Amino acid sequence: MSLNSSEPLSLALPKGRLMEDVSNFFEQKGLNFSFDNRKLVSYDKSGRLKIFLVKNSDLPTYVNHGIAGLGICGSDVLYESGYKFFNLMTFEFGGTSMCIAGMKGHKKNDNERKLSVATKFTKFTSDYFHKQGIPVEIIKLNGSVELAPVLGLTPYIVDLVETGSTLKANNLEVLEKLEDIKVHLIVNPAYYKLHYKSIKKIVSILQKK
Amino acid sequence: MGTETIYIEDAYKHRQANEELGKLFTSWGYLPVETPVFDFFDIYQEFIPVEKDIYRLIDREGDLLMLRSDITLFLAKQMGLSLKDTDLPVRVCYSGTILRHQNREDISKNEFFQTGVELIGKEGKNADLEILMLLHSTFKSLEIKPIVHIGSRKLLDASISDFKEFDKKEILNMISYRDFEKLKNMLVKNVDKKRVNFLIDLFQFIGNKEELNTFIKSSGGLINSRESTALNDLINIMDSLTQLGAGNSFIIDLSEVGNQPYYTGIVFQGYIEGVDSAVVSGGRYDDLLGEFGFPAPSVGFSLLLRKIEDQLGKKFSLPDQENITDQDFISGFKKAEKIRKDGRIAIL
Repeated sequence: MSLNSSEPLSLALPKGRLMEDVSNFFEQKGLNFSFDNRKLVSYDKSGRLKIFLVKNSDLPTYVNHGIAGLGICGSDVLYESGYKFFNLMTFEFGGTSMCIAGMKGHKKNDNERKLSVATKFTKFTSDYFHKQGIPVEIIKLNGSVELAPVLGLTPYIVDLVETGSTLKANNLEVLEKLEDIKVHLIVNPAYYKLHYKSIKKIVSILQKK
Repeated sequence: MGTETIYIEDAYKHRQANEELGKLFTSWGYLPVETPVFDFFDIYQEFIPVEKDIYRLIDREGDLLMLRSDITLFLAKQMGLSLKDTDLPVRVCYSGTILRHQNREDISKNEFFQTGVELIGKEGKNADLEILMLLHSTFKSLEIKPIVHIGSRKLLDASISDFKEFDKKEILNMISYRDFEKLKNMLVKNVDKKRVNFLIDLFQFIGNKEELNTFIKSSGGLINSRESTALNDLINIMDSLTQLGAGNSFIIDLSEVGNQPYYTGIVFQGYIEGVDSAVVSGGRYDDLLGEFGFPAPSVGFSLLLRKIEDQLGKKFSLPDQENITDQDFISGFKKAEKIRKDGRIAIL
């Protein structure tokens, strides 16, 4: 970080499903960047942004510690991190939903004394059901969550559902949508206070229709 | 008390900085006080912004205690109990650790070192200016250049005075985290659309006093008289800071409404390049001491010293050291004394 206003702002982008959407969106706004083979740091062509590529779930950590001032991240990941940021804008791309799903035709029977759920999103899941006063047992998984009901680990999962095709392929169905997940441009609060002028400029470029 | 271990060079720096500030505060007439490290929880409960961030414990009688999470709060109770009218105004300074849960893996990150000052029993602009200028001198003596964003709780209180139902803690949270989308959704239930848009623009404002004047002029008749007083107070303070040569360290930021519920007037936070969160915070709290039995208007700031120690220059670093290799103790001792006189370290 530096006081010099001509210094580029630092922005962390998530590797993975969002990356293509993000770079297309930025290109439409005239902010072009590309990453050389396997490189994780790049600059946009106008020199306004220094861009880091980080693992999606680590992104909030980098922004919280001010290593990257800005970041683009889904509200699912932000919620799990527990950190607080300023939300500068919400993107139209990348939206999905957090859902509870189970085996097709599975009837919740009265012998199930508690809700048993496998998920990557343990904080969201426990907060969601605690708020409703529903006791829940949560089993943390790191991927391929849809296997849990198939293999009999838990009858239910809480996971992101975009098209539902993964669920379908595993004979699962959405029981209820719990929350809309949106992609946000976030900023470390102290970084915003020090660079609000150039950040406002970038936001207005990104918001231009 | 504490969970953090500070090693030699860092500990030296920490002590130097703390001593430097102690000397500065004393020269302004601010004298040291010590506050307890734990106290009964129920006394402070209503003044705690996020209860689950507090470390609580149970004593042998079963009463709920809390570890010090904010020195200003513990100090207010102490002062409220011990001060008399004839003592006022009182100028005090403090330095010590506080504990707050920060949701990190390493518990030593939950501890902070807070050093600061309070001017008790003096209201108005002059007292606010005294604290802001002492803060400015604090930066100078530490040789650092933070930028302080000043806002006004008085402005916020003026803006929400005619709302019917609202949760003030929630509003404070939305504004200080600049969540204006959420604020807008909440405000439309309370006030007409024109005024909503004005309030959103108002609390988003960051800029100098000229820019604030332009904003005020362009807002038509939407400012109520209490808001206008609060804004003029801020502009006057900025004017004086500029005249005192401190204008470059301060900027008006109306989203600074204070993270502690007890503020009533100016509120501010300071930020510095390379540090991931505010390094100093403070403001005016005219009603807090009254809650503890002794009403007295107060203003102060507290600096999270550990956060800025990486930024401190050579003035605070361990001096060079020299090993005396002389076989003869007497000549070695004399050499060492000379070296020490130069401000370096001599080891016999």
